[in-house]
Amino acid sequence: MIDKSILKFPNIKKILTLLVGITFLQACAIVGQACFLAGAIVGLWEGQQLNKQLFKILLFAVCFCVRQAITFFRERVLDHYAAEQAGELRQQLLTKIFHVGPEVVQQNGTGNVTTMVLEGIDQVENYLHLILSKIISLMIIPWVILLAILFFDWKAAAFLLAIFPVIIIFMIVLGYAAQAKADRQYKTYQLLSNHFVDSLRGIDTLKFFGLSKRYGKSIFRTSERFRVATLNTLKIAILSTFALDFFTTLSIAVVAVLLGLRLINGQMLLYPALTILILSPEYFLPIRDFSGDYHATLNGKNSLSAIEQILEIKETVTTQQQLPDWNAQSRLQITGLTFRYAEEQPQIKMTLNAEGYQKIGIIGLSGSGKSTLINLLSGFLSPTAGRIRVNGVELTSFSQHDWQQQVIYIPQNPYIFKATLRANIAFYQPEATIEQVREAIKVVGLTQLVSELSNGIDTVIGEGSRTLSGGQAQRIALARAFLDKKRKILLFDEPTAHLDIETEVELKEKMLPLMENHLVFFATHRLHWMKEMDQIIVMDAGKTIEQGTLKELKQQDGSFVHLSSLVGRL
Amino acid sequence: MNIFRILKNDSWIKPFLHKYRKSLILALILGFITFFCAGALMFNSGYLISRSASLPENILLVYVPIVLTRAFGISRPVFKYLERLTSHNWVLKMTSELRLKLYQVLEKDAVFFKNDYQTGDILGLLSEDIDHIQNLYLRTVFPTIIAWLLYIFIVIGLGYFSLWFALVMLLLFAVVIFVLPLWSVVINGARQEQQKQMRNQLYTELTDNVLGISDWIFSQRNLQYTEKHVQHEKKLRKVTQEIRNFNHTRNFIAQLIFCMIAVALLLWTSRYFPGNHGGQANWIAAFVLVIFPLIDAFAPLSDSAQETNIYKDSLLRFNQLQNKQQVKVETLQNQAKLDTPYTIEIKHLDFRYTDGDKLIIEDLNLKIAGGEKLAILGRSGSGKSTLANLIRGDRRPTRGTVELNQQETALLGDDISNYIGVIHQTPYLFNTSIRNNLSIGDESASEQRLWDVLERVGLKQLVAALPEQLDTLVDEAGLRFSGGERHRLALARILLKDVPIIILDEPTVSLDPVTEQELIETFIKELHGKTLIWITHHLQGLSLMDRVVFLEDGRLQMSGDPQKLAETSAHYRKLLAIDHGI
Repeated sequence: MIDKSILKFPNIKKILTLLVGITFLQACAIVGQACFLAGAIVGLWEGQQLNKQLFKILLFAVCFCVRQAITFFRERVLDHYAAEQAGELRQQLLTKIFHVGPEVVQQNGTGNVTTMVLEGIDQVENYLHLILSKIISLMIIPWVILLAILFFDWKAAAFLLAIFPVIIIFMIVLGYAAQAKADRQYKTYQLLSNHFVDSLRGIDTLKFFGLSKRYGKSIFRTSERFRVATLNTLKIAILSTFALDFFTTLSIAVVAVLLGLRLINGQMLLYPALTILILSPEYFLPIRDFSGDYHATLNGKNSLSAIEQILEIKETVTTQQQLPDWNAQSRLQITGLTFRYAEEQPQIKMTLNAEGYQKIGIIGLSGSGKSTLINLLSGFLSPTAGRIRVNGVELTSFSQHDWQQQVIYIPQNPYIFKATLRANIAFYQPEATIEQVREAIKVVGLTQLVSELSNGIDTVIGEGSRTLSGGQAQRIALARAFLDKKRKILLFDEPTAHLDIETEVELKEKMLPLMENHLVFFATHRLHWMKEMDQIIVMDAGKTIEQGTLKELKQQDGSFVHLSSLVGRL
Repeated sequence: MNIFRILKNDSWIKPFLHKYRKSLILALILGFITFFCAGALMFNSGYLISRSASLPENILLVYVPIVLTRAFGISRPVFKYLERLTSHNWVLKMTSELRLKLYQVLEKDAVFFKNDYQTGDILGLLSEDIDHIQNLYLRTVFPTIIAWLLYIFIVIGLGYFSLWFALVMLLLFAVVIFVLPLWSVVINGARQEQQKQMRNQLYTELTDNVLGISDWIFSQRNLQYTEKHVQHEKKLRKVTQEIRNFNHTRNFIAQLIFCMIAVALLLWTSRYFPGNHGGQANWIAAFVLVIFPLIDAFAPLSDSAQETNIYKDSLLRFNQLQNKQQVKVETLQNQAKLDTPYTIEIKHLDFRYTDGDKLIIEDLNLKIAGGEKLAILGRSGSGKSTLANLIRGDRRPTRGTVELNQQETALLGDDISNYIGVIHQTPYLFNTSIRNNLSIGDESASEQRLWDVLERVGLKQLVAALPEQLDTLVDEAGLRFSGGERHRLALARILLKDVPIIILDEPTVSLDPVTEQELIETFIKELHGKTLIWITHHLQGLSLMDRVVFLEDGRLQMSGDPQKLAETSAHYRKLLAIDHGI
């Protein structure tokens, strides 16, 4: 009944042993509590003095308190254990995510990744807590109680034992029926429940079409349909709880009536009968507790398997190689570099040479494979085949520590952290002095921005604070590159695609000097950059279709000229 | 207590309590009966076996308790089942009303809503708030009121037998029902607030850094971040543990009280129902056993009370929304229908967002003739989109006027949608079928017309090849379609609506140049004859326009037809040269 993945947690055996021990003790306390209470009541019923019952009442109270104290203790122990495991798991998950990098984030979505790290792990913690306490209770308490009842009266015990599997079978059967019904309705259900947030998101569109006022009626109608659908599902879904409830309370009633009839016939005494009556609800309590938290455990179980999936991602174990720092004499040779995202997508197959501080322009339309190439060069993606030689050192992928620490990667939307402007600029060089940061600001032309900020370079920028324009974000990325003089390889992935033309011109003036003395790969579809490049690669469907200097390409009058005529058709 | 203060000034929840009071009362009564039956079952059973043990000469003497025991045994689960259905039904009814209300409030400010709340997914948040309010009812309000009803019933019931004992129970139960929940809210409230803030902070931090993950990896500082996160997490863990420890202790105390109640019942019944092998003493077991099933009704109250701290924010958010909206100005109704030709005239237009801000638009004069194709060019932040909002009348000028055929557009209200259509940079596609997405343009459009417009925008083949054609669902947020295709669908909607004036608000900037060029050509061809106001920040496609105006810092800088501008304006020539590239 306990999930295998739970047994993998460290120290689980120790905890389980402890839990079994204290739960057994608790079961004894429950039996004791019932016996002493019944004893006291019977004593009074027989007309004995209250004084004579005080000892039994005291023992009842002691058993009651022991039982609750064990619950208290068990909760504390499990809190501690579950929290410890959750903390461990969270650290593993974070380390994994921040190691494997953007690929995991892209596949799962940023929102899902953060939710997994925060809420997902909380759910696992909860799951661990619940499942351990409830399952152990279910495995011990009813059976100890049943033994006690057997001691008093085997017939009642036999009845209670027989009803147990009936309850379980009914719950399972009804559970499946509800699931089947819910599955059938799932699509409509999903659609209806998303309808509201979908309408809110598109509310401006509705307004533009003059429909927004009338649409309120549709919202209400859909919501009412949702209500009816939910209730229909609910009618079945809560049937399994109903069955559980029905059988347990009815069993108690049946036991009471049976006991009563046998008492009348003089086949039994009040004391055992009353004890059995008090114990019957306790017999069913663990299964009711367990089913009540069933959904919470389900979420936890799903989160746990989702987390395990990420933890099991194999990091492409590329043997880390020593690479010398890139300099004017360095050479990069790439032959037959192959990669494909998925079957239906075009395969990238590239051969490419670069040396020293060359500037290499990569152009092509959307989907031609420019970004994939840049991602391969950055080491975020690992090629499936191909030879890479950096200064004679053979590599299988660019996911190399020594390579990545020489690279600056500037995407279309450089990410601006929610931090001070200074921390953002000095992200790659946290120990940079304030003078160095100021110089970088001047070089990339951010002085104007700094003067507008209330706290100068110590103003917090980024999401939720002052947001920057696309051009300003690019300048910060450039400032990062400027500060880090050690990194000699620049990868640009359409850095200006979304900027207005005047901003682009201003930025270009700042970018060109920075590119000096760097190996540059520049993917773009803005052709005017090609004038600055030493080598141009024209890509289409993942392949190089033309390569050479601007002059050569113009003379060839091939794909490049065709592309520029397409783009320049003003 | 905070939640009470919020509830006092609430205008979101209270009206519906009144409106659906009948089913509300029904749900509460059913909840009460459920626990009543549970208690009565044990009461009866206790009496039954005590009475039986006193060996009545005739079985008929215990006939009534036998029947009652069975009846209560069956009715408890039945009433519980009904209670759950009724309460869910009630809550969902209220949800429908809440959704409608939320929608109507947001609708007034629809165009700017996304801009007003820059961060996070406020819309998603608001719709989650509705779920929170559902839980407030199902998990806090209902159980609490039901427990109160039981409490009153128990105290009055015991009062019938003994006044002073009823008073003892009144006090003992009051500890569980009032003292412990209040204590929890007060003590844990502050901790929960702290916990929430820490959690939010962790959430924003983590999101921020996951978004910037590639920089962490390149800078090879990733270990630094994970360590920092784990440290913050530890602090949060400490607070969470404090809350839990408090809860465990409090639950233990509550159980001690229940133990005291059980013992007190035993002591009282021993005095009140004396007997020897039966008689009055048969009632002892009945009264003592009834307490155990009732623990289920009272024990969770403290946790429920504590949960209100979580719902507080949702309630607050709704009520603030209302306050903010009340500032808006109403528009005039019942405008006379405007006729061709449609001329837009902007005179001495000034605009600033709030008093004291700098002017976004400054003394702008512009006349757009019917059927003219006008491009408004400017860099980001120059006020282009604000100008578009002013033209459509979604914003009111600070000074000056924007008129459509001598009518101020800001006063036209929703009628403006019959004259001006808009296509945005990221057109929103609703998560429904293609057909429904198109019908937004014209709800009565025939099948044939839908296919016609799809053909005009170049999507006919694509849609015809889909498994369910027009009834195919566009995936959530329209991800199934590429950027260019989404714009074509948006264009199809506009074509169905058939308005005389179209504003294109940077519709093509995120596309690659070839896709962009094709799209522009489709736009120009299909919208021929209509007034076209095209807002853009680069030059592609400008040669197809009749007139280009430059907007810089809220002022008009150059204006003229593209050919003439290329001849006369050095600035324009320079931009052209850059854009041509090589």
